[in-house]
Amino acid sequence: MNQSTAERTDVKAAPPARRPVLSRIAAATGPATGAIAGIVILTVILALTQPVFLTWGNITNLVGANSVTLVLALGATFVLLAGGLDLSIVAASAATGMVFGLMLQSGADALPAIAVTLLAGLVFGLLNGVLTSYARIPFLVVTLGTASLFASIALLLNDGKTINVFDFPGFAFVNDFVLGQAFGIPFILMFDIVLVVITAVVLRYTKFGRGIYAVGSNAEAARLNGINVRLTTMLVYVIVGFTAALASLVQVGRLAGAAPTFDATLLLTVIAAVLIGGTAYTGGEGGVGGTVLGVLFLGVIQNGLTLTSVSSFWRGAVNGIVLILAVALGVARQYGWLRFGRKGR
Amino acid sequence: MNASEPALIRVENLVKRFPGVVALDDVSLEIRAGEVLALTGENGSGKSTLSKIVGGLYQPDGGRILVDGVERRLANPHAALEHGIVLISQELTLAPTLTVAENVLLGRLPRRGGAVDWPETRRRAAEVLAELGVHIDVERRVDSLSVELQQEVEIARAISTRARLLILDEATSSLSEGATLRLLDIVAGLSARGVAVLMITHRMPEIYASCSRAVVLRDGALAGEAPLPATAEHELVRMMVGRELLDYYGSRVAAPAGVVLEVEGLHTADGALQPVAFEVRAGEVLGVAGLVGSGKAELAMALGGAIPARGDVRVGGRPLRLGSPRRAIAAGIGYVPDDRRREALLPPRSVAENISFAWLGTITRFGFVRVAAERRDVAKVVADYGVKTSSLDKRITLLSGGNQQKAILGRTFARGCPVYVLNEPTRGVDVGSKSAIYGYIQALAEKGAAVVLISSELPELIGLSDRVAVFHHGGIRAVVSGDDLTEEVLGAYAVSGTRPGDHPSVVISTDTPTSADTPTSAVAGAGRTR
Ligand SMILES: Nc1ncnc2c1ncn2[C@@H]1O[C@H](COP(=O)(O)OP(=O)(O)OP(=O)(O)O)[C@@H](O)[C@H]1O
Ligand SMILES: [Mg+2]
Repeated sequence: MNQSTAERTDVKAAPPARRPVLSRIAAATGPATGAIAGIVILTVILALTQPVFLTWGNITNLVGANSVTLVLALGATFVLLAGGLDLSIVAASAATGMVFGLMLQSGADALPAIAVTLLAGLVFGLLNGVLTSYARIPFLVVTLGTASLFASIALLLNDGKTINVFDFPGFAFVNDFVLGQAFGIPFILMFDIVLVVITAVVLRYTKFGRGIYAVGSNAEAARLNGINVRLTTMLVYVIVGFTAALASLVQVGRLAGAAPTFDATLLLTVIAAVLIGGTAYTGGEGGVGGTVLGVLFLGVIQNGLTLTSVSSFWRGAVNGIVLILAVALGVARQYGWLRFGRKGR
Repeated sequence: MNASEPALIRVENLVKRFPGVVALDDVSLEIRAGEVLALTGENGSGKSTLSKIVGGLYQPDGGRILVDGVERRLANPHAALEHGIVLISQELTLAPTLTVAENVLLGRLPRRGGAVDWPETRRRAAEVLAELGVHIDVERRVDSLSVELQQEVEIARAISTRARLLILDEATSSLSEGATLRLLDIVAGLSARGVAVLMITHRMPEIYASCSRAVVLRDGALAGEAPLPATAEHELVRMMVGRELLDYYGSRVAAPAGVVLEVEGLHTADGALQPVAFEVRAGEVLGVAGLVGSGKAELAMALGGAIPARGDVRVGGRPLRLGSPRRAIAAGIGYVPDDRRREALLPPRSVAENISFAWLGTITRFGFVRVAAERRDVAKVVADYGVKTSSLDKRITLLSGGNQQKAILGRTFARGCPVYVLNEPTRGVDVGSKSAIYGYIQALAEKGAAVVLISSELPELIGLSDRVAVFHHGGIRAVVSGDDLTEEVLGAYAVSGTRPGDHPSVVISTDTPTSADTPTSAVAGAGRTR
């Protein structure tokens, strides 16, 4: 039935052999073409020049180093798909990290400490969500404001001091989880995979996920077709808050400490990863698969810079250039400014 | 016209392919100076693709373009403009955040010294718009305008350039009858001055009123060419759809049953819609006529929950709380808005998702989309409503305009609602598909739905409706049925609010009403008998 319909409505099949290889690859990989091409090229270069690159040790190291970025980027994917943006995500993560640190310091067990941390993330997200969707304040204004607020909270919680959590009883569990492995596979990799699968399923196969795409594509059409636009928008920010808290758990687990300050370039890296993965900043287009590729791409670049002992000061420059190139490629795809392999042009 | 002189534009053996589709297959045609040529054919037959190639927006995969007999490459719209080719494309291309004046003179803003001469810009823009009979504040931002006015701005921009060939791709589809007539007048004027016009339209009366020749495309190939008005309409239609269209509006046998939709004192706070009252029975089609700004659009939006409104609306006896699309849907109202791009489509999403997102309430279980059922139902809509697409996963905006419309109607009709509110459902749809859509509307009514059909095409209202409510200055001025259901009567009520002959002269007025001169509900009530 399905098949026959598709054929019946076909206007006329174009002879497939005539389409250039590059344009076919571009069509098949969709908006993430740039990220995939980048990963392939970099991997080949690094594999040929840096013998360590393809070792299991380096690969697990790469995964571990990029898990925080990945978790934050998965959350950011939701907001971008819904047509918004959250600038407070890294600051929220720092603040929830401090909450986690304080909980451990107070002698709490791992599970209550984790629960409270996640709850804090949800509350931060709820604040962003309510202000953007119900109070109708533009998301850039809201999240710029809350970014500042959350950064301040992170500092205030422990008077600006880092909490060394290594000796607290509740920390062992988190530490074991973040650094441990089974059958040579790091737990954190499994955690990443599970999180990616869950977010992908939510976005693609649930009413809520489809609603996010609809709202980001055309909020008015979504509203007229019965989708609760405000609730959807609000929940998206709540999800970001939750992933910010998850990321802070991973971060504290890796560093064995909760720091009230954070790497200022992380926000840019997170958003860049999502955009490089082909999620449109205008909303409604893209997804988790692209985000994974975007994070991987930036991670491989970073790893390459480390392996080749290039100063880490270059990281920001490289990320910025890659972001602009990748998004330019996406724009070109859409408007056909660069025509892949077209003859006679 | 000198036959030995080379044609203004000549295209030869044009070929254009898109993934999965041959949009143009060896098409040749020529347009001479001063000629008004109709380009017509079914939805998805390649008309817009051809116009975009001539307008420099697309590059052909094969064939060539000759301007004044010399082969030219039109690499972009600017290059086309240098040869005097101006395209008004089907999708509006205005800069939404700029003012009307800036849009009209975009790229050609008059200068004095180094700076833009704003008074002159405003004066010239207002002048061109006045020629079109449009009097709006040229300082308004374009995105605050209705589709019709945006279309007028787009037209104003095109006619204010020094065009040698003007391509109008369904420029009239969002215009009211009066605005259409003014545009056709302008076309005649341009043609007299030697400007060639390529008119793409699905409306037969326009083709016959303006064009001296029609070229018909079918499935991307040339299906024929016909001199006008010598060729009979049914001949032309047969060329387009490949068969005779019998029984254009279809028919239904079931007599209207019990009242399903009751409306009493429905109005909006801003006065655009003043208190109206009517009833629609199961199996009945209530037509709604009126000029742009008459309140008919607000009626549709109020019933669909798109705008806040007050009054008493009952569906199947149950009162409906107004102002929310979700509640309107839950009450069983299937609403199709008139502005496809702004209110109905999810531009970056696929055909399948554009259809199924309107069913999220029913196609999910425990919050999860039932994927197999979704796929099956979407495929059924695509097949049942003849949506021409090479794949269900194709981006909806890559479908031709008419096929986008069929997808939107299909997703709404598939919901099986007791009440439908359809605002301009056949906008941009080809004759064959229009007839098919009329068939679907008849079938909906036959199955017991109450249909409110808002349309600016009087023949379609007459062909489908049991009764037609005519709006004027925000309220219903008359409900016409039976032998009175003629274009003259409907037109007269729409324009002046009174019957033909009652008024010495017919005045088109777009002023906002200050007072309701007749108690509208009484008039509506008087005409309610069938
Ligand atoms: N950019 C594109 N990418 C892929 N397919 C396209 C693109 N533009 C058009 N098509 C396809 O080419 C065919 C011709 O489309 P076109 O828009 O020219 O039709 P049309 O005759 O203008 O139809 P309508 O009367 O509905 O406007 C359609 O099958 C359409 O889906
Ligand atoms: Mg078209």
